Amino acid sequence: MNALMAWLDNRTGYKSLMHEALYERVPGGARWRYVWGSTLVFTFVLQVITGFMLWSAYSPSTRTAWESVYYIQNEMTLGYLIRGVHHFAAQAMVVLMAIHLVQVIIDGAYKAPREINFWLGMVLMMIVLGLSLTGYLLPWDQKGYYATQVTTNIMSLTPVAGAEVQTLAQGGNQYGHMTLTRFFAMHAGILPALLVAFLALHIYCFRRHGLTVHDENHAPETSFWPDQVLKDAIACLAVLAVVLLFAIFKGAELSAPADAAVKFDAARPEWYFLFLFRFLRFHAVESIGLVWGAIVLPGVIMGVIALMPLTHKFLGEFGHTLNKAFIWLLGAAIVVLTAMAFIEDRNDIDHQAALAEAHRDGGRAVELASGPDRIPVDGAVGMLRRDPFTQGPRLFAKHCSSCHRYNGHDGRGMLVTEKKKVAPPTASDLGNFGSREWMRSIVVDYAAHLSPLKNAGWFKDAKAKEEAGEDVTYLNPDESEMADWSGYPESLLSDENSENLDALVEFLYSEANPGYIPADVKEREEWVNALAANEQLAAKGRAVATEGAWAGDLEGTSCADCHTTIGEDFVAVSDDDADGYPTMAKYGSAKWLTDFIRNPGAPRHYGAKNEMPAYPPQQLTDEDLNLLVRWLTHDYLPSDVPDYPSRLGDLPSAGDAAADSNEADEDATEGQDLEENAGEEATEQE
Amino acid sequence: MGDTNSPDTSAPAETPSDAELSSGSESRRNALVSVLTGFLSFVIVAIPSFLAGAFYLDPILRRKKSGGAAGGGALDGFIKLDATTDSLPDDGTPVAVTVKSTLDDAWNRFKDVPVGSVWLRKQPDGSVIAFNSICPHLGCSVNYRRSDDDFFCPCHTSSFDLDGTKTNEVPPRNMDELEIITATDGEPGKDGKELWLKFQNFRGATEQKIPV
Ligand code: FES
Repeated sequence: MNALMAWLDNRTGYKSLMHEALYERVPGGARWRYVWGSTLVFTFVLQVITGFMLWSAYSPSTRTAWESVYYIQNEMTLGYLIRGVHHFAAQAMVVLMAIHLVQVIIDGAYKAPREINFWLGMVLMMIVLGLSLTGYLLPWDQKGYYATQVTTNIMSLTPVAGAEVQTLAQGGNQYGHMTLTRFFAMHAGILPALLVAFLALHIYCFRRHGLTVHDENHAPETSFWPDQVLKDAIACLAVLAVVLLFAIFKGAELSAPADAAVKFDAARPEWYFLFLFRFLRFHAVESIGLVWGAIVLPGVIMGVIALMPLTHKFLGEFGHTLNKAFIWLLGAAIVVLTAMAFIEDRNDIDHQAALAEAHRDGGRAVELASGPDRIPVDGAVGMLRRDPFTQGPRLFAKHCSSCHRYNGHDGRGMLVTEKKKVAPPTASDLGNFGSREWMRSIVVDYAAHLSPLKNAGWFKDAKAKEEAGEDVTYLNPDESEMADWSGYPESLLSDENSENLDALVEFLYSEANPGYIPADVKEREEWVNALAANEQLAAKGRAVATEGAWAGDLEGTSCADCHTTIGEDFVAVSDDDADGYPTMAKYGSAKWLTDFIRNPGAPRHYGAKNEMPAYPPQQLTDEDLNLLVRWLTHDYLPSDVPDYPSRLGDLPSAGDAAADSNEADEDATEGQDLEENAGEEATEQE
Repeated sequence: MGDTNSPDTSAPAETPSDAELSSGSESRRNALVSVLTGFLSFVIVAIPSFLAGAFYLDPILRRKKSGGAAGGGALDGFIKLDATTDSLPDDGTPVAVTVKSTLDDAWNRFKDVPVGSVWLRKQPDGSVIAFNSICPHLGCSVNYRRSDDDFFCPCHTSSFDLDGTKTNEVPPRNMDELEIITATDGEPGKDGKELWLKFQNFRGATEQKIPV
């Protein structure tokens, strides 16, 4: 063994190299304050190891980047840890770098003869920031996509050749495959190679000049190995532990796949760039010109730091004091701006809603990607575009929410406002459309069910005209044949009719053919079983609906008296054949709903009493209508992603007794929502 | 040089050896610190290396079955071919048929795409046999050679009988026969015209037929 080592040493001289590396002298003894450089090197090694692993599974193109990152994160062995470590070690690197820089300035380690090494350090800092910036885009998720858009747009502000710089960076006039390939080449090839080169120079210079000893008499002189190495190793272990904890318990987020057609209101840069982001938000900054805030000022700051050795050279110790003051001020400004950005975002209800939607979309994308159909050929974006759970709320918010609400919100979790006040709904809340509760409410409490109509302008006009003695045809929830019929709660709710009522509700529910048909064989079985278990009840309900089997005051009446097509398959009967009452044929089913949205005013629906605008294909394409209808009828892969919380408790109740009674039907959990939401509302009104 | 803290920079830093630094108990302490330091250094490198290793071994560690055909009951795992018994020549001339199925490739699922190709041949008794067209030698494609009325692989000249038996020493085994069932409307039956195939690929260069 020894002979072998001697042979090796003879050929390579490794012993003196090791000696050189390990036995550097440390005057004043080993100290914790010297560990920062080593932790940075360690973090970089961590990034190289995890980075190469990610590289082995990552695929840079707009149709595979998100998809491969999804695969790494959710399906590959320990993939979430590899990606988590890479993600958080990158942030640790920025933090450690800041500490290192501040310490170098405070200890005066930038002073002659170490100026060159100080500048080398600044180059390294730029490279690390470049790495973090390019890395943020690579997952090609909404978060990275829109944050990086901001950066490349800032590049276009570069004096003289702005547009060219931007085009070069993004590999074309707009984002696409080439943006990813170029960013990836930067992130995994060019920048790391530069980093290694400059790091070697940095360490070489550091060794040449030795440590900047803080206090020579602190302890007896020692050597780098093992005393200082031990401290370095412990510090590195601590860094590793923190990074691992974050990777395990927080995890790197993957938001929804990037889609230029889907706006993303939650866009923010990485937290360590938040101060710059917040700075650019000052209107004063904007008014002096974005280029000053986004390019010139950061450039000046870097310039001042770079000139620190000269400041000291010409102004002596006073210069050093100036330098220290500058870095403290800069640090304070960064902390304040970052805190401002955080606090403002926390209190910004719109930003929070956008964030919630981003989480919902992101979770949903992962859910679909791991679902029975996995990711189709056109990628995760296509997959989301065809998903009712994702698109339904957006379509609802766009087309329906000016009158309807969905559990009190606009479909996307936001309250509908008008002149800064929460606007009352003027049509029914479709949050539980087609459910058993919905059906029961229509049968038992028709007037209350439709009471939101009374908030509408047309209703007030019509009512006023009617009171003035004019003859108007309109839907008055309180005074209609249906209201009259369901206005017999004593009879309808009495014991003698309760079984019939349950049966009728079950029948109506089964006619709406609710819900998603699970793809999973076992789930489908359970779903079918549940419907089958109630089949008898529904069959009885069918008889109640078509023949009437009521007792008491309702004796002799049946739904089919008016709704002649109840129990039949839905067909769009022509205007002449309509019975003059809204058709109940497969009421609430996808087929019925599709026809209704296209022609609410047809005689087979509300006829002359209709107030809802029709949605022709020019306004709502067939695909969109299909998505909307499937969302409203819950026909999609079931989701464990937290949905938008109910906001029924936030709706205005003032002057609307009917709406109140509607709310009283909500179960106890709504009460809790109400309290929570009251707080949110208060912040919103600020 | 105004900075009193800076060590002498003109000469390389002096490097005192252990002996110079320490006496008996000192060196014992040093040895202990060295061992501890070595151990910690090992740990901080071993942890990320272990994670990286496990990640890179992912394809071996999971061995999750990919692909898979739809269907149920008796024909579970079988793929319906475009060809029917009627479309095959009665004289036993082999016909190449593309097999379409669902293909799982990492994160993607491609539906109804070509996943391979088979040689089908009607036997004198009317039954059909199927061979995977991948050569058992090293994975090229086996062709039907009309001139010799046999199967032949141009890569390294493997040749086989029409019943798949190898006829020279190049291939390690006979052609890979695949299970094929006739059915009517998805119901297996002897007189059915539909052809349902259990598609599989096998490792090359082995004497045994080992599914991949
Ligand atoms: S691969 Fe067919 S002969 Fe070698």
